[in-house]
This record gives sequence, structure tokens and C-alpha cells, in this order.
Amino acid sequence: MGFLSTSVGWFLSLGSSVIVMIVLIILGLIFRVGWQKAVRGGITTGVGLAGLFLVVNVIISALQPAVAEMATRFGLAKTIVDVNWADAGIAWGWPGVAGLIVSLLVVNVLMVVLKLTKTLWTDVWSYWHGSALAGFVWAATGGNVFLGILAGLLYLVAGSLMSDLTAKKYQEFNDMPGIGVPCGTTVQASLFAMPVVWVLDRIPGLKDWDASPEGIKKRFGLVGEPGVLGFILGIIIGIFAYGTGTGDLGIAKILGLGMNVAVMMMILPRMVSIIAEGIVPITMSIVQYMRERFKDREIYVAVDCAVLLGHPAVMASTIILFPLLVLLAAVLPGVQMLPIASLAVVPFWAGAVVPYTKGNVIKTVIVLLLYAIPFMYFSTMLVDSQTEAYKMMGQFTEQIGQGLKLGSWDMGGDILGFFIRIFFGLFS
Amino acid sequence: MSKLIVVACGAGINTSTIAEDSIKERMAKDGFTDVEVKRILMADIEGYLSRSDLILVVSMMKIFRTFDVPIIQGMPFLIGSQAEKDTLLDKIVDIVKKA
Repeated sequence: MGFLSTSVGWFLSLGSSVIVMIVLIILGLIFRVGWQKAVRGGITTGVGLAGLFLVVNVIISALQPAVAEMATRFGLAKTIVDVNWADAGIAWGWPGVAGLIVSLLVVNVLMVVLKLTKTLWTDVWSYWHGSALAGFVWAATGGNVFLGILAGLLYLVAGSLMSDLTAKKYQEFNDMPGIGVPCGTTVQASLFAMPVVWVLDRIPGLKDWDASPEGIKKRFGLVGEPGVLGFILGIIIGIFAYGTGTGDLGIAKILGLGMNVAVMMMILPRMVSIIAEGIVPITMSIVQYMRERFKDREIYVAVDCAVLLGHPAVMASTIILFPLLVLLAAVLPGVQMLPIASLAVVPFWAGAVVPYTKGNVIKTVIVLLLYAIPFMYFSTMLVDSQTEAYKMMGQFTEQIGQGLKLGSWDMGGDILGFFIRIFFGLFS
Repeated sequence: MSKLIVVACGAGINTSTIAEDSIKERMAKDGFTDVEVKRILMADIEGYLSRSDLILVVSMMKIFRTFDVPIIQGMPFLIGSQAEKDTLLDKIVDIVKKA
């Protein structure tokens, strides 16, 4: 026992990048992709993970003083730093990730065989939603890997059931027969949209109100570019934080903050993309195997929510939503995080809602304004266990010790995830 | 001159990686050393359309416009059987040979 705990301790002390590299190489060998691919994938993912945390470090050192300044100046308690997809770092770096992947594969195949679901969870990348949640539970329960895996498994199994309910609609609207999208916060947006759209369709005047997607994209399209959006948001926060500051210095700080937020908005997703570049080839063989195994059955093959982004109404709704969501988070009492990095998830939500609003921009915007409210509160309420997860992975420990809190909508504010985390929190 | 294939998806994170990987593997197997396969965000496509070496766009989502170069729906890379994938790769090889 002493030897075991010593070796586990040594393994964890390697740091998340080295751990994920080793884990992926082992997974690659289990899935028989060969040495070369396994090693390349493992190292690539480790690099992506390290890069992701580098970017987060840049943004913490830029944003944390600014939100603190806003708090002292205006009493604006919006002090949680939004790191959104940095949660993918928790997902692929927490100690139980390999266990979660393997157990979901087993449970999903069993469920398909027993006809409990039609969704074949082939999109291993998207397991990250469940794995991030598992990491939060792991942190909340003082490092219980087993409970973490169980929580993640529950979330991902629920994802396959929700995918069953939405798959037909996605297939028809996007003209992609055979797909299903079990991605966490996305598919929940569809379920949320069903009743809301039903109500909206019965309100006279609203029923037929629409806006032209092309017109919106032409006029305001620039705001939809992550870098530009980040720069603008950084400048606005900078004005509140340093606006009345000392002349030139104030302006320099404001511009600097704008640039740093733009850096985060553009580079954070690219780092996530490097992580995926390592993981995806390793998981391709298992995916192919699962597909062939069930080719004679009616199956919804799980794909990433990115395939839902094609319709012009998606980007148009997103552009309108950006300023509205920031304003809403700023004025809602008790919400302690201004969404910045989390805005990156909005197009995916729109992609899930547009099939239900039949491409109507106004209705999509209304649905998602309502949908975002629980995310705003839940991410604030459970920020401590999320921050703890980063700390337990050895990231940003010094700043966290000084009171830094890290939050997100995707996965920190997830609605289903909130209830799972509350439930498993009882075991802490 | 080298030939460029862009694989475009919504986020440039996951789905395009899958297609890029399959296409790159086939290009290597068939000995096409002058083909560059690049995954991009659909939002960034304008910058690539003006490039003279662009021969093909592979789109991972349904798109609502046309280009001067051929466009292929990459969905079979995500959900197709091995046979469907091979058919699609054959089509891409044909385009590369003609370009």
C-alpha cells in the first residue's frame, strides 16, 4: 500500500502534460494505432495542454488586476476570471481521464446492444465535457477518482439519451443523415429550445418577426471575429478599471488589456485544437471498429457540435447575442463572472437552437438569452470546486492562493452538470 | 507547384482534424508529395480562396455557397464506413491528379 501511494504520488507530481502524454501513449497501444502514432499523439497533446495553460496564465495576469480594480472602484463584484475552454485542460489532464474514456466506451456499446440508446459515442474528443465535469467532482470530493469517473459517466450517458431526442431534427435541418450530437451544453440548448419556441410561436407579433442573417453579418460581422471581439471587450473592461487613471498610463493599460484579451480569444481555441490534433488520430481506430460493428443497425453516429454551424442564422444570432450576454451578466445581481472566453461557446448553442427556430434569428436570440441565465448563476455558485481542480492539477497555485477564482460557462456553468456536481458534492 | 487542399469546419478543433488525418494518410500512401492538406476555420476561408494553388475545399458542415474550386462534403470521414471513406478519398485523388 505504501509503495502504491508513493508511486501514485510520483505519477501525479509529473505534471498534467507529462501525464497526458503517458496516458495517451498507453491508450494508443491499447487501441492498436502503432508506436509512431501513439507517441506523436501523446506528445502533441501534452504540448497543447502546456500551451493552453500558458495562454491562461497570460490572461490571468492581465485580467485579474483589472477586475480587482473594477471591484474596488465601483463595487462591481465581477471578480471571477473567465477561462472557458481551459476546462479542456482539466478534462484531458485529470488523473481519471483514461478510466473514464474506457468505461464510457464499454457502457455505450452495452447500451447500444441492449437498445437503450441509438447514439454510438464515437466522438471521443467530445468526451471532454464529461471529463471536465469529472475533474470538478474529483476536486470537490477531495481527490476521489472513482466518484469523478462515475459523475462523468452519468453526464455522458445522459448526453447519448439527449442525442436520441434531437438527432432526427439535426439530420433533417443540416441534411446529414445518420448523425447525432451528444455534446453537453449544445444538446441541452436544443431541449431548452423546444418548449420556449413553442411559446414564442404563440405570441402574436413575435411569431413572424425575423431579421436577415446576411444583413447582420455584413454590417456587424467584424464583431463575430474572436480577436476583434476580445479587443473590444478588453478595452471596455479597461475603461472601467483604469479609465479615470493617470493620463497616458491609463490609456496604455487599457490598450494593453484589449490586446491581451484578443490574444486569449484567438489563441486559446488554437491550443485546444493542438490537444485535439493529438487525441483524434489515436481514437480513430476504435471509432472505425465501433462503426463497422453496428453497421446493420439504425444508429446515430456521434459527431462534434461543430457540424451544426453551417446555417447563416447561426453566426448572425451569435453576433447579436455577444453584447446582450455581456450586458446581462453585468447587470444580473449575484453573477460574479463577466463572460469573455465563454462567449466562444455561443455559436455552438446557436447551432443547436436554429433547427428548432427554423433559422429565425430573433427567436434564436431570445431562446439563448434565457438559456444563458442558469449558466451565469451556476458558474458563480460552483466556482470553488472548479478553481480547486486547477489547483489540484498544479496550475496557477500561487495566484489561486491569493484568491484568484477561475470560472466558465462550458463546463463550469453547465445545467445538467450543476445537478450532478451538487449530488456528488454530498460525498465530500 | 504544390497543391493545396483546405479542410474547413466550424471551430477548426475536432471534425476537421479527423478528415485532415484521413486525407494526409492517403496522400502519403499514394505518393503525392506535393499536396498540402490544411485544416482551417470556415470563417477564415476568404484568405485561402484567392490562393492560386488551392485545388479543393473539403467542408465538414453544410454550406450555403459555391466556390471556383470543387467542394466536397466531408461528412463520410466522420460517420461513413471504410468503404464510403475510400470512395470519397478516390474522388479526392482524382481531383489531385487532374489539378
